[in-house]
Amino acid sequence: MIFTSLNFLLFFPTLVLLFYLTPIKWRSLLLLVASILFYLNLSPVYLLLLLGVGIATYSFTKAIANTKNEKKKYTFLMTNVILILLPLFFFKYFGAINNYCFSMLSQNGLHWPLPELKFLLPVGISFYTFVAIGYTIDVYNEEVEVEKDFGIVMLFISFFPLILSGPIERAGNMLPQFKNLKPISFDNITAGLKLMLWGYFMKLVVADRLGMYIDSVYNNIDNHNGSTLLLTTALYPFQVYTDLGGYSLIAIGTAKALGLEVMQNFRRPFFATSMADLWRRWHISLITWLTDYLYTPMAFHFRKYKMKGIMLALILTFLISGIWHGAALTFIFWGFMQGFYLCIELLTQKRRTTWEQKHNLNNNMFYLVACMILTYILFSASQIFGRAPDLKTAFSVFRKIFSERGNLFLDITTLSFAILGLTLVMLKDINDEFFNNKYSLFSSKIGAIRYSAYLTVLFFIILFGVFSGSSFIYFQF
Amino acid sequence: MEKEAIVSKLTVIFRNVFTSSDLILNDALSANDVDNWDSLTHMILINEIEVQFDIKFKLKELNKMKNVGDLIEIIQTKLM
Repeated sequence: MIFTSLNFLLFFPTLVLLFYLTPIKWRSLLLLVASILFYLNLSPVYLLLLLGVGIATYSFTKAIANTKNEKKKYTFLMTNVILILLPLFFFKYFGAINNYCFSMLSQNGLHWPLPELKFLLPVGISFYTFVAIGYTIDVYNEEVEVEKDFGIVMLFISFFPLILSGPIERAGNMLPQFKNLKPISFDNITAGLKLMLWGYFMKLVVADRLGMYIDSVYNNIDNHNGSTLLLTTALYPFQVYTDLGGYSLIAIGTAKALGLEVMQNFRRPFFATSMADLWRRWHISLITWLTDYLYTPMAFHFRKYKMKGIMLALILTFLISGIWHGAALTFIFWGFMQGFYLCIELLTQKRRTTWEQKHNLNNNMFYLVACMILTYILFSASQIFGRAPDLKTAFSVFRKIFSERGNLFLDITTLSFAILGLTLVMLKDINDEFFNNKYSLFSSKIGAIRYSAYLTVLFFIILFGVFSGSSFIYFQF
Repeated sequence: MEKEAIVSKLTVIFRNVFTSSDLILNDALSANDVDNWDSLTHMILINEIEVQFDIKFKLKELNKMKNVGDLIEIIQTKLM
């Protein structure tokens, strides 16, 4: 059951109704049962794995909290982290390592038939593993109190709106909310439904239509010229934004309707004026997770090497992020490019700041727009490695963009609806970024305007949405 | 070392790291209030403080620093 399935459209209203009919003290149990059923519907075999991660995390966090011996605490921490990372490594990388070993043996004339094991990646494994690791480290660092109720820990790890693709939440925010669920609120339900409506619009009208065009080009790279590939490259970041951003809004809205506040995952990323700024606005829950649990410990460890130490930690963090996205050289390149961009910014930061102050550029709109465009170009270029199936294709895209001009391949019907939808998404982002949401039709005090806006968006989704059962990009990770 | 002396020494370090000649420190000041104070410059700041005050922070202490007030408190305990 995914958010765009008919099952979910039945499951969600039923759950909201049951949630509000159930006495408050039983509501967390209801949410846990709903989350387990949701997962069971998606991936019944791997439910045991999810339970295993929950049991291990519950047991080891309690062990960490119950001992005063620092060495033992550290042993418990590392045991749990390694234990719950093992299935992720196995399912994500075993196939790739197996294929690599097989091809290396074949190249050297050895034909040793290794067993070919093909497993489907358990749904949401990356996301619930990250949530469980974050909670374990937070208990170790005494950032949060250990949770003694197994049901609450299990609910935190398996909470259905977030398990498939995040946002990757933190124990500090979610555990107190699960323990003290809010009373019925009509405002929460309407606020949640509004977020969900906009999320569905971003996903079904914009992301999936852009995806249809981008996939048709990438599936046939050899027959497309540089002009078409340039347009595809320019559009791909918008596809990822509306796909994962749309998914995130549906997840946040679902939780909101149940009275739970979940962290924001995107904050108008296309108005970022530098790559560092972009990474504070793009996939925020993943980046803050990586910053807190990977980058900061590494940078702290390397800090005596000053700037070089920080750059090393940065590059390693993004390389790991790239490898997490997939066991392929394209993702390693993608990660390296992000780290490289940020290192250049770090090295030039003092000079840039002095220069900007000297010429009073911080409030100069032309300068800021130029920075936004440059950031967007750098990011779009790096995303070629995120989209291309292999390195050869990625380099071929770059080569064609710079050398082959020609007529654009345009699928007018698909693109016109996608661009119209994207324009609305960007207008909303402009309103949020520069006008503090002043002109939001969804928040208008005039009921007729508000309801017309809801109906228009619904009308757009029904008429122009893609209902072919497509998945979300981040489900594969 | 007195709190005032720590603040005055810290002010020089902060102004230098964040290239802001008129930055004034107070207990509530945090990364949200200072341009360029992010996870990258934070580690430069931490290293500079360690060198100037001749102290060593622990990672756990770093995680608990939410504002300049927390930072000053930790420095004070290390200089006792």
